[in-house]
Amino acid sequence: MGGGGFTAGPDDPALDEHVLALTGVPRPRVCLLPTAGGDSEAQIRRFYETYPDRLCEPSHVSLFRLGHRPIPLREHLLAQDAIYVGGGSMVNLLAIWRAQGLDEILHEAWRGGVVLAGLSAGSMCWFEWGVTTSSGHPAPAPGLGFLPGSNSVHHDSEPARRPVYRDAVRGGSIPPGWAVDDGAALCFRGTGLAEVVTARARAGAYAVDAAGEHALEPRALERPDARTATIPAVAELRSLRAARAGGLRD
Amino acid sequence: MSRPRQILAMGGGGFSMEAGNVLLDEHALGLTSVDCPRVCFLPTASGDADHYIVRFYRAFAAGRCQPSHVSLFRRDGGAADLAGHLLQQDLVYVGGGSVISLLGTWSAHGIDRMLRAAWEAGVVMTGLSAGSLCWFEQGMTAFHGESKPVAGMGFLPFTNAVHYEDKPERRAAFLSAIADGLPAGYGTGDGAALHFVGTELAEVVTSRPNARAYHVAPDGAEVKETELSTRYLGAPLAVEPALAA
Repeated sequence: MGGGGFTAGPDDPALDEHVLALTGVPRPRVCLLPTAGGDSEAQIRRFYETYPDRLCEPSHVSLFRLGHRPIPLREHLLAQDAIYVGGGSMVNLLAIWRAQGLDEILHEAWRGGVVLAGLSAGSMCWFEWGVTTSSGHPAPAPGLGFLPGSNSVHHDSEPARRPVYRDAVRGGSIPPGWAVDDGAALCFRGTGLAEVVTARARAGAYAVDAAGEHALEPRALERPDARTATIPAVAELRSLRAARAGGLRD
Repeated sequence: MSRPRQILAMGGGGFSMEAGNVLLDEHALGLTSVDCPRVCFLPTASGDADHYIVRFYRAFAAGRCQPSHVSLFRRDGGAADLAGHLLQQDLVYVGGGSVISLLGTWSAHGIDRMLRAAWEAGVVMTGLSAGSLCWFEQGMTAFHGESKPVAGMGFLPFTNAVHYEDKPERRAAFLSAIADGLPAGYGTGDGAALHFVGTELAEVVTSRPNARAYHVAPDGAEVKETELSTRYLGAPLAVEPALAA
């Protein structure tokens, strides 16, 4: 996700809902990794508000508080249906994950069919390269490289990233990739882009190469409005989506 | 005028753990020999927890010192020239938390190199728990369950275990790690702090009359634990153990 979803504030319920649907499981286990935000209490609280028990089995792993809350990291993460990575500092995120061996665990989880989701730093981390503001100003930074290519986020809301990303791709210092607006998300099946989904009108994603930006055709997600719709309708919608997404787990 | 290299490594104490007891924090300020020292707090090991940063500013109020902090999770808006900012300090205070996350993050931002330059230039380094372990060659962390050694920045060529008396399993794990070949080092209890000048232990100071620290070294096939003499920083009559009990 280029931005949006629950950690962004006003919330894009359709994106949050889509993460659950991609698991193909009726009541998926979803684990938040709030590492990039320094395990911010606010981010953790919003996660549990967005993903209540009736929709899923939510949990989170605070790497900064394992001292008070020990947890078998590998077992817990491999047992998830989806892992949701919050935003924050991409440089810190990757440094801490590597120091704690999370990079290998997440790769294993992904290979095992756990859906990996996230926004901002939690999106760019999966690619070979991202454009981070971890040092105060936008600059390319290497990611985990599960997905080939590069990714830049907040394309619409943080225009300062654009020239940095475009120039880095054009100059060849980082590979071509995708720029994503807030409220839009890239969905990869394996390492191939399956579709672009959006939760906001006018949100989009762009393929970026040496020649420039090329807008991609998005699919607008239906707003789930779980709070006002009747619960059976929501359940039906979710099971339909789940069935449709079932093939993603291989 | 060249300033000596100094590190005050607390086992556990100061504003993070001893609300109302300013002895160790005051001692750290005093080591700078500056009237109104510049003090920079590094809360990295806690993930730059807001409440921790607020507690730092309450404990190190402007007037007594010139406080600042560096947040590596929110660098936009902070000091642009981190190396310069750290070099200008009289005291760098490292908070507690996860030593593994601390060192990983520091290394990604080059803070380890900046701190070494600052230490060599005479900026006093202090911290507790993770903020104490980080200065040593290796430290015992129990943050992720079982106690195990992790490599620190190696400013001090020793090993270190914190919360030493207060968490008996750490003491046992440290003793057994030394028996298994971990180099000699120090076990530091809560309320005790090791004061190093250069890489020599100058003294052990305490904020509690009964706080202790030990030198732990291999001794043939055994391990020798030697209690170190300490200096209680409070007035001897202020906290009578008999009265406190």
